[in-house]
Amino acid sequence: MNRIVKFYHELGSPPSFYRITQHWLKPMLLLAVLLGVYGLVEGLFFAPKDYQQGDSYRIIFVHVPAAWMSLFIYLGMGIAGIMTFVWRMKVAEAVMMASVPIGALFTAITLLTGMLWGKPMWGTYWDWDARMTSELILLFLYLGVMGIYSAYDEDPRKAARLASLVAIIGLVMLPIIRYSVVWWTSIHQGSSISLMGGASGIQDWSMLRPLLVMALATKFYYIYVLLKRAQTYLMKTEQNKQWVKNVVSPHGAQEVSS
Amino acid sequence: MRFWTLLRRDVLVAWRKKSGLYQPLVFQLLVVTMFPLGLGAGAQTLAKISPAVVWILALLSTLITFEHLFKDDYEDGSMDLYYLSDMSLPMAVLAKAMAHWITTGIPVILFAPIIGMLLHLPNQSFGILLLSLALATPIFSLLGAVGSALTMNLRNGGMLISVLVLPLMSPVLIFGAGAVLESTLGNSAQGHLLMLLGCLVLAISLAPVTTAAAIRINLE
Repeated sequence: MNRIVKFYHELGSPPSFYRITQHWLKPMLLLAVLLGVYGLVEGLFFAPKDYQQGDSYRIIFVHVPAAWMSLFIYLGMGIAGIMTFVWRMKVAEAVMMASVPIGALFTAITLLTGMLWGKPMWGTYWDWDARMTSELILLFLYLGVMGIYSAYDEDPRKAARLASLVAIIGLVMLPIIRYSVVWWTSIHQGSSISLMGGASGIQDWSMLRPLLVMALATKFYYIYVLLKRAQTYLMKTEQNKQWVKNVVSPHGAQEVSS
Repeated sequence: MRFWTLLRRDVLVAWRKKSGLYQPLVFQLLVVTMFPLGLGAGAQTLAKISPAVVWILALLSTLITFEHLFKDDYEDGSMDLYYLSDMSLPMAVLAKAMAHWITTGIPVILFAPIIGMLLHLPNQSFGILLLSLALATPIFSLLGAVGSALTMNLRNGGMLISVLVLPLMSPVLIFGAGAVLESTLGNSAQGHLLMLLGCLVLAISLAPVTTAAAIRINLE
């Protein structure tokens, strides 16, 4: 128990966060690339054709994991936002602000792949159905957090606290927005996967496997980019601290101290 | 007591300034003229889109008033006094949002039937239009207070307010315009109106606290 508490406190301090996560970067990247290549190759070339949609269904191996990530990262950003707001933790600040562009990117990928898939399936790139609309609003929420942060660029800590407030508001509002948008009749197909094994979901394991692998790959990619961005964020905001100088030029710093 | 004093002061300031009172209405009138020009003046086309247009105009014309909700007080230092006085900040926010609603929301509600008439909104829908706007304009003011507090010391925060506030307003628009649309089709709008009422309760309870938090961060 004591070790966990110690670990938690260590993660909260920028220098030890940097030191600890430095060891995680390579394995995360490796896992993301390996799983991503495996999932894409199996999904795009070897998984069986869909009896109804033919080969064009294969975009779900990108679309669905990206859609999951767009919400997952929003949740992560919101939780980091709460930690930023309540405890003013610098590391939480870094994690929150590092999550925003990644989440926005996954949201944009979801929208784009959805549009590309919609053209052959629905005959239109865009339709104002519930999921597309709420995904678009999700993108706006990400842009709002980015916007408020960049507007206060002269004071990054204040910017981060205001951005955390926006993130928290978004987190509270997201379910309301989501369900109000669902109010409309939807032409989007039902969920592809349900944990209870509903009749409408994917049944075939050889289709499901690459999808789950891709979901894992995007998670590891997120962790990798998140840590890398959070490290950079901390180094930028703490650029005058000694630990950053040690990291940037280990030899130069030793000369100064000796 | 202080609540009412602040409310009266804000209403009085807006009343003496006048521009805040009629700006949204002039904006609505200008934009509503553009619709027949762009769509063709066919009464049936206009009637079909009228619930949405009346609602979006009410929303957008309120949006342009948000920028100065807290900015003027922030710039002349009154905001620091609210902060330092022993009045609770969320209550001050609520008073200011209420004053904003009285000076912007009520004129917008009263003006909506005129816009509706210009767009040939079916007769049976006017009651629901007024009711839905009466429920929704306080939400506009409260959410606008949040956006305005977040951007109060930015030189041009207008665009940012739209980015922050409009996504949050989408449920209100869905239920509000939905209610009017249902009534034009002869259906009951009760469900939509109840959802609006729910949004209003949520906004009254959460928005002042959030706004106060944003003000505290900004004054630090």
